[in-house]
Amino acid sequence: MTGATRATSPGPERIEGHAKVTGTARYAFEHPVADPLYLHPLRATIARGRVTSVDTTAAERVDGVRLVLTHHNAEALVPIGDPELAVLQSDEIAFRGQLIGAVVAETQESAAHAADLVEIRYERMAHDSDFRDDADIVYTPDADASPMLSPDLEEGDVDAALADAAFTVDATYTTPTEHHNPLEPHAVIAAWDDDGLTLHDSNQGSHLVRDLIAPLFGVDKERVSVISPHVGGAFGSKGMPHGHVALTALAARHTAGRPVKYALSRTQMFELVGYRPPTRQRVRLGADREGRLVATEHDSLEQTSRFKQYAEQSASASREMYTSPNRRVTNRLAALDVPAPTWMRAPGEAGGMYALESAMDELAVSAGIDPVELRLRNEPEVAPVSGLPFSSRNLPACLREGAERFGWHERDPRPGVRREGDWLVGTGVAASSFPSLFFPGSLATIRHESGGKYRVEIGAVDIGTGSRTALTQLAAEALEVPVEAVELWLGSTEQPHASLAGGSAGTASWGSTVVEAVRAFRTEHGHDPVSGAETTAGAGKNPDAGEYAMHSYGAQFAEVRVNADTGEVRVPRMLGVFAAGRIVNPRTARSQFLGGMTMGISMALHEHSVVDERFGHVVNHDLAGYHIAGNADVGSVEVDWIDEHDPHVNPVGVKGIGEIGIVGTAAAIGNAAHHATGVRVRDLPLTPEKFLR
Amino acid sequence: MDSEITLWVDGRRETLSVDTRTTLLDALRERLGVTSPKKGCDHGQCGACTVLLDGRRATSCLTFAVANDESEVVTAEGLAEGDEPHPVQRALLENDGFQCGYCTPGQVCSAVGMLDEVKSGWPSYVTEDLDESVELDEDEIRERMSGNLCRCGAYANIVTAIREAAE
Amino acid sequence: MDFLRPAGWSEALEAKANHPDATPIAGGTDVMVELNFDHRRPETLLDLTRIEQLREWSRTERNGVPTVRIGAAVPYARLIEELGTTLPGLAMAARTVGSPQIRNRGTLGGNLASASPAGDGHPPLLASNAEIELESVRGSRTLPLADFFTGVKRTDMAPDELIAAVHVPEGTGPQQFSKIGTRNAMVIAVCTFAVALHPRRRGVGTGLGSAAPTPRSATEAEEFLAGALAEDGQWDDPRPLPASVTERFGELVARAAAPIDDVRGTAGYRTHALHVLARRTLSWAWDEYRSGTELSGRQRCA
Repeated sequence: MTGATRATSPGPERIEGHAKVTGTARYAFEHPVADPLYLHPLRATIARGRVTSVDTTAAERVDGVRLVLTHHNAEALVPIGDPELAVLQSDEIAFRGQLIGAVVAETQESAAHAADLVEIRYERMAHDSDFRDDADIVYTPDADASPMLSPDLEEGDVDAALADAAFTVDATYTTPTEHHNPLEPHAVIAAWDDDGLTLHDSNQGSHLVRDLIAPLFGVDKERVSVISPHVGGAFGSKGMPHGHVALTALAARHTAGRPVKYALSRTQMFELVGYRPPTRQRVRLGADREGRLVATEHDSLEQTSRFKQYAEQSASASREMYTSPNRRVTNRLAALDVPAPTWMRAPGEAGGMYALESAMDELAVSAGIDPVELRLRNEPEVAPVSGLPFSSRNLPACLREGAERFGWHERDPRPGVRREGDWLVGTGVAASSFPSLFFPGSLATIRHESGGKYRVEIGAVDIGTGSRTALTQLAAEALEVPVEAVELWLGSTEQPHASLAGGSAGTASWGSTVVEAVRAFRTEHGHDPVSGAETTAGAGKNPDAGEYAMHSYGAQFAEVRVNADTGEVRVPRMLGVFAAGRIVNPRTARSQFLGGMTMGISMALHEHSVVDERFGHVVNHDLAGYHIAGNADVGSVEVDWIDEHDPHVNPVGVKGIGEIGIVGTAAAIGNAAHHATGVRVRDLPLTPEKFLR
Repeated sequence: MDSEITLWVDGRRETLSVDTRTTLLDALRERLGVTSPKKGCDHGQCGACTVLLDGRRATSCLTFAVANDESEVVTAEGLAEGDEPHPVQRALLENDGFQCGYCTPGQVCSAVGMLDEVKSGWPSYVTEDLDESVELDEDEIRERMSGNLCRCGAYANIVTAIREAAE
Repeated sequence: MDFLRPAGWSEALEAKANHPDATPIAGGTDVMVELNFDHRRPETLLDLTRIEQLREWSRTERNGVPTVRIGAAVPYARLIEELGTTLPGLAMAARTVGSPQIRNRGTLGGNLASASPAGDGHPPLLASNAEIELESVRGSRTLPLADFFTGVKRTDMAPDELIAAVHVPEGTGPQQFSKIGTRNAMVIAVCTFAVALHPRRRGVGTGLGSAAPTPRSATEAEEFLAGALAEDGQWDDPRPLPASVTERFGELVARAAAPIDDVRGTAGYRTHALHVLARRTLSWAWDEYRSGTELSGRQRCA
């Protein structure tokens, strides 16, 4: 089940690879449409209040302007319970940057120019966008209201156990607001005709967009088409449609069938498409003399917006990670006059495991136990909260294999004693974990074209994960034909309904669907089907769901250098070893892990949306101010995995790989920076001045 | 105000009338339908719009179309010969040096321009010896490719691909 | 928006005289960001890319000193490629400006006109006592760069003036430049520092970036070091610098700063880092001077 790991075959190259390296793959804004108009939004310049007057006279006089849309002339939308989509439905302003209108014109230049000429007056109200622990704004989210939320966990007596513990840690960690910043800005082309609405849109699930936009406009789902063959990155920010989709579709109601195009500017993306909310997390750990946890407490406070709740649930990362007889896990929200946060790559786990795995390192240091060994000693037999057996759990194998490959055993545990020139050098480790999810309800169509060629259709999406390639492989394998014999179609509502790309559940959910659909096809049409033979089917309920705890795991190792004089931090080397079930395509899977780790380096060192509370907006709202890791920031990053056969997780045996790579990375880097310097920085990102305190 | 200009795009001669406010990137994408260069930030901060402009890599969002009358623009699409990818493109395919693909055409143009700069002996911030010809090791590639952000995090594979393509 | 494209320099000066509100644009790497950000909507743009003489540099002599006259529209890439050993400090700084794509287009003149306190080219120009040549239909004038910057993104230029060139005395001794940023490349500096040793006139030049409302020199530090070197006979017989000298130099450089807190770093960190950069670049430059490699132009990575 475990052992040497290097894949023997790299797996096929990406099916759409040639189109991507030449730039001929079409993203949302690039679909050729006849006679388009361009939209430029009007956005609130106050953080809370209402619009009292709008003067559009000058804007309407600009050459080429076809429409100025505000809450005065926008049609009524059907309330569907998502305040983000209810654009231009009232004069209220809930956050700075909110969409309050649009100019539609013949060119982008005219639309932008005219938007500048619209005069808007406001009634300004006092706003609060200062994230803090204050009873006025903090509340407990109602876990009964959503299956996505976990209630507080209280087991045993944490305080008593801490009082008796041989070693304790009590530390508070903070993580900042972070923005996804996919390289492709959110974009949509909307056109209404007699048949309904067509959206060329950049999203993580065309069916989900349809399922929300159709009722918003009070039309049947069949009358809305959403087309998204290529998506230029998403990371959660394109999971739910945001206000811009509704705004563009609203505007297109007024253009007599002419398509309306809108791509967000990079700056608008800092206010309109979600973000990872800031957190403040207190972790208390207690261990006995051997380093076995006797108490685990993790309390997280996270930002949400007053106008739309989002709960990050960072503390929940501690629920099932390690054995601990006494535990307390709570999540609280602080509601502010700010844009709505949303899922961002490993929501909850990325920030929560940063805190837990940093605290575990602090415990290792205070107990004088090697941090790899400390984790091995706290490995649970069964899932700590539910008591369920694990479908598979190979964290120990990841830790051992990683330690071996990284050269961990030669490590001198003393912090702050290795120096090369001006640089202090250290190494660190952290564990990764991410739940293995499965989203039900997807369907796939299998059709035998002729001559042994098959067409497979599923309304899934490839946001860069490689799903187009992996699903083609799984279909070919199930059909027992070469990969070249399968033509896979995804990326639009033209194909059967599929769940969104999220929760690292794509290959699990869609792959199971494709495999089950092939089985149904074979049952119906046999192994020698006629041309045109076709079956549409989905995956049933996994009988093992609810019987096993299902997660992927990983161990991350980092070497960090901190300049003794300036505090500059560099990460010359990382190694991640993962256990994530079956790896369908080693070539593209490796990229998923690598991408997650690289974003983790970025999270550790750079990412921080700085909010100016006076105005309620992010001040470093472009890519010169908001740093994401560039090529020169990323040194050697090695990725490998444990061969893991999991018969329970789903019919294809895959666990999620898209998010686990970012989980634990920042902790490993922070732990290594402590090992290098002896300075424990508990606030991300790890900027130079924090090491000079 | 409109002006008439001529551009040579991937070997084709294109004459068009453009608004003086139109960037080269928007002229290519919205007027000529050449969407290989991507708009990622419109501020020259991400590199997705990189093209070879008169032979040198440049961010096409930071120049007006009217200022480039009679210029030669080569995009990632033009670097491939039909179905036959450029060696840099071939190496990116083999090394999976991309995921979502949105930054990729810019990475390709940047890499091709960069290899040319190295051949011409241009030093970079990390070049140690200014008198010798540049040895294109991983640090040199990382530094020289830092004008192209990749949010999917494919840098390690991009570096390997460019090393291979350079050989 | 009007877009003026003069074919020659006198035509450009005429255009600027007739449209004093026109925004000059050459490489576009500063101006276009402002435009695309909707920060500025100028009525008129004055495109200088067709003016050949702005894209040339030449060796001249000013007041008996060999000097390089760099046309305002020479892009950074050419400073790196062509002037690496003549103006090593400037070339070093040029290698850290923006991204390679930006360096292919962005110009020294544009950077100076923007007058950003974070402009990477400014500190080495200050350390070399560069002068800036401004011209209008009224005539031409040349002033020390230190007098050109008057405030945050403000300069001494009259509305009808254009930057014609920058005059940089050729290096006669080691020059160094160092930058701290929160990312390894393509980064706006947290702070920068340039030092130039001028053995022939037994002087020292410095330049600080992102350290005050304007790029500035640390005059006190320059005078202290020049004095200490002269007093100890170090110019003629260079020996290792006493730690007290580098330390004091660092202190005086840090004292010359008047930094602010912003998203890239705190004022306190900037002051500390300038102290470090000053000591570091001085020790590199002094090592070079002692080993007799006066103008290596070699970048020293921190």
